[in-house]
Amino acid sequence: MDGIFSNLAIGFVEVFKLQPVTMWGMTLQHVPFNIIMCLIGCLLGTLIGVLPGIGPVATIAMLLPVTFNLSPIAALIMLAGIYYGAQYGGSTTAILVNIPGESSSVVTCLDGYQMARQGRAGPALATAAIGSFFAGCVSTLVVAMFAPPLAEVALKFGPAEYFSLMVLGLVAAVVLAHGSLVKAIAMVILGLLLGLVGTDVNSGVLRFAFGISELADGIGFVTVAMGMFGICEIIANLEQKEHREVFTSSVGKMMPSKEDWKRMVMPIIRGTALGSALGILPGGGALLASFGAYTLEKKVSKYSHEFGKGAIEGVAAPESANNAGAQTSFIPLLTLGIPSNAVMALMIGAMMIQGIAPGPQVMTERPQLFWGMICSMWVGNLMLVILNLPLIGMWIKLLSVPYRYLYPSILLFMAIGVFSISNQPFDCFLMAVFGLLGYVCVKLGCEPAPLILGFILGPLMEENLRRAMLLSRGDPWVFISPSKPISMGFLLASVALLVIIAAPALRKKREEVFVEET
Amino acid sequence: MRRLLVFIALAAAASLAAAQGGPQSWPTRPLRLVVPYAAGGPIDISSRLLAAKLQESLGQPVVVENRPGAGGNIGVDLIAKGPADGYSLVMSAIATLAINPSLYPDLPYDPLRDLRHVTLLVQVPNVLIVANDLPAKNVQELVALAKQRPGKLDFGSGSTGSTGHLAGELFKVMTGTYMVHIPYKGSAPALADMMAGRIHLMFDNLASALPSIKAGKVRALATTTLKRSSFLTELPTLDEAGLKGFDMTTWWGVSVAAKTPQPVVDRLSADILKAMDAADFKERLRGMGSEAPAIRTPEQFNAFVASELKTYTALVKRSGAKAD
Repeated sequence: MDGIFSNLAIGFVEVFKLQPVTMWGMTLQHVPFNIIMCLIGCLLGTLIGVLPGIGPVATIAMLLPVTFNLSPIAALIMLAGIYYGAQYGGSTTAILVNIPGESSSVVTCLDGYQMARQGRAGPALATAAIGSFFAGCVSTLVVAMFAPPLAEVALKFGPAEYFSLMVLGLVAAVVLAHGSLVKAIAMVILGLLLGLVGTDVNSGVLRFAFGISELADGIGFVTVAMGMFGICEIIANLEQKEHREVFTSSVGKMMPSKEDWKRMVMPIIRGTALGSALGILPGGGALLASFGAYTLEKKVSKYSHEFGKGAIEGVAAPESANNAGAQTSFIPLLTLGIPSNAVMALMIGAMMIQGIAPGPQVMTERPQLFWGMICSMWVGNLMLVILNLPLIGMWIKLLSVPYRYLYPSILLFMAIGVFSISNQPFDCFLMAVFGLLGYVCVKLGCEPAPLILGFILGPLMEENLRRAMLLSRGDPWVFISPSKPISMGFLLASVALLVIIAAPALRKKREEVFVEET
Repeated sequence: MRRLLVFIALAAAASLAAAQGGPQSWPTRPLRLVVPYAAGGPIDISSRLLAAKLQESLGQPVVVENRPGAGGNIGVDLIAKGPADGYSLVMSAIATLAINPSLYPDLPYDPLRDLRHVTLLVQVPNVLIVANDLPAKNVQELVALAKQRPGKLDFGSGSTGSTGHLAGELFKVMTGTYMVHIPYKGSAPALADMMAGRIHLMFDNLASALPSIKAGKVRALATTTLKRSSFLTELPTLDEAGLKGFDMTTWWGVSVAAKTPQPVVDRLSADILKAMDAADFKERLRGMGSEAPAIRTPEQFNAFVASELKTYTALVKRSGAKAD
């Protein structure tokens, strides 16, 4: 325990260190340079998080050449700031205009946007910020204290375990929907099918690309999410003449009420725990965390009937989870040198170009760098909450802009965002198509969230299923053999969850039939 | 109306003059460097570094443009079919020039006929690494083990048709062994599975494998190049270990449209080489695992691409990988 404190002390000293800085020919003594870089990173991160489409990966890649002139620690602090800053910013557009800027904020759309429509955008944004802050603090401590043993846990997850976890995730996807069970399953399957488009991992064969080379790498997540949520919402809004102005006229309070505080505490704690746990898994762990946290809350909350209609738990839990996951996803990078997602791969690139080989030796050979970076995350989280709480007032004002001005700007930003990913006009058309599809789905009473989850999980699930089968030379028992207790556990949990879901649904169906007959 | 005609005539004359002005007047406007992959990979990062350097020496902005899709083919095709004016460059690589032509049956461009290859920027060796708990301590023992347990060893790779996959196939052919290929999406998850002992070996590029090798999480047996790597001088090459002539590197460099004027190609080549010889740039590329390439002139690079294309066409055919 003492070790931890002395390590954290090293880190904080490094973060707050005053150093001479030369800029534009002037040399300034005693500049808290690392803190300034942290602030710049957080600001940039928030900004790109708010702008739909432009994600942390592209931003970090573009800034990488600039960071070479910085010290390694300053560079890494700034780049990390962009990453978790984007997690903060992503929830803002999700809540205000129903556009999930980052994949992890898809779930935030569900209840956050509903809260905004009820004039509670302020409390929703504040909840997201507070939840993220708490999660960030706790998970930073987790990284500091348990990084090496947790990395070992991450290694226990092989293809079989991932597959079973994804199965559990898909079953949980059905819980996300609050309407008809059959429709939710249909949307999950549609999502799975859309996820199949592109090059097959095993054989390299193109599937469902119809000769369109832009589809060879599959359909982009951002394209689908912005179409199904953002564009679809705009169409739906324009359809109902002036009623849509309702939620903009009553801006409401900025801060959560006493009741809100009471209701958000437990979801934040549970979300943080789940997010910290799933974040260490390379490959989609952090993303599963936000979906998982939402599903969990919906099951355990006594307000579960409010989910999807503006429940504060539905914002607090996933926002805490995705921020916790974002922090703990540094664990495989820092301890094993393995990147758990594209951003982490870039961080590795940044470290290597700075002459640092990522891996367990960083902790012992360069303690200032290692602990400095961890402490900067904590400082960064504090900065983000201080930055974001006052910004809430400004964001809410945005909602009082008449919709006839607001929606063309939203459309424009979405188009720019989607285009910026691969500079293909094709993606913008595709987004429009998904907007129409989303609108049709809404008219049919089908919700987009299960589709999105199926779309994300489908390819991962297939990949891991086939890899596990390749490794076992075609023996399906690998998923439930006693030598794989984790995989077996997930599959059993899926079955249990299925039964829980199916039982009330079956009951309800009987009731519906009865109602219709009378 | 007359004034308009005069204006058009003047504008046409001016642009003609610019077109015929030769290398003295090139470049007069910003250049674009197409990276046919999403932002963030090593090819993208080195392109951004190069763009910054070229911007200084050419005196014109060099804009990096990511055009990912179809394994890099979309971005390369854009330049292959684009104007041959020297303002459009592409960072082409072993995948788009040597492997994809046999992997994708309807590749829209011909890597030799439609493109002119200017400078080879980066050459990264692959390393043969094995899981720590695998008993084989050197290449001979690994071959013996593979022969003793045919079809029982798994080798991972970053994707089907990657250099890691093809190196494994070449290894199988040269040693007469049979191992099962397990493709991943990128080499990081494959490395993780190897650390956990789920797969036995893989051919990974040096840059991504080096941290794990240094940390002792996996064991390196050999490099895939004819010369030993300066990063791991004690590590033998596969050639030394008995697989005579085994030579595979991952490489990328700058190409332009085939009809680009020779003076422009020469100037570009000279400026890129100047950047590559600058100490800071060299150091950054070395951080990415690159040994300074021995191939320097456009002629050498074009000949290299042609020979690599031949090698990999044969190899892909033998491995049975395809993407149709």
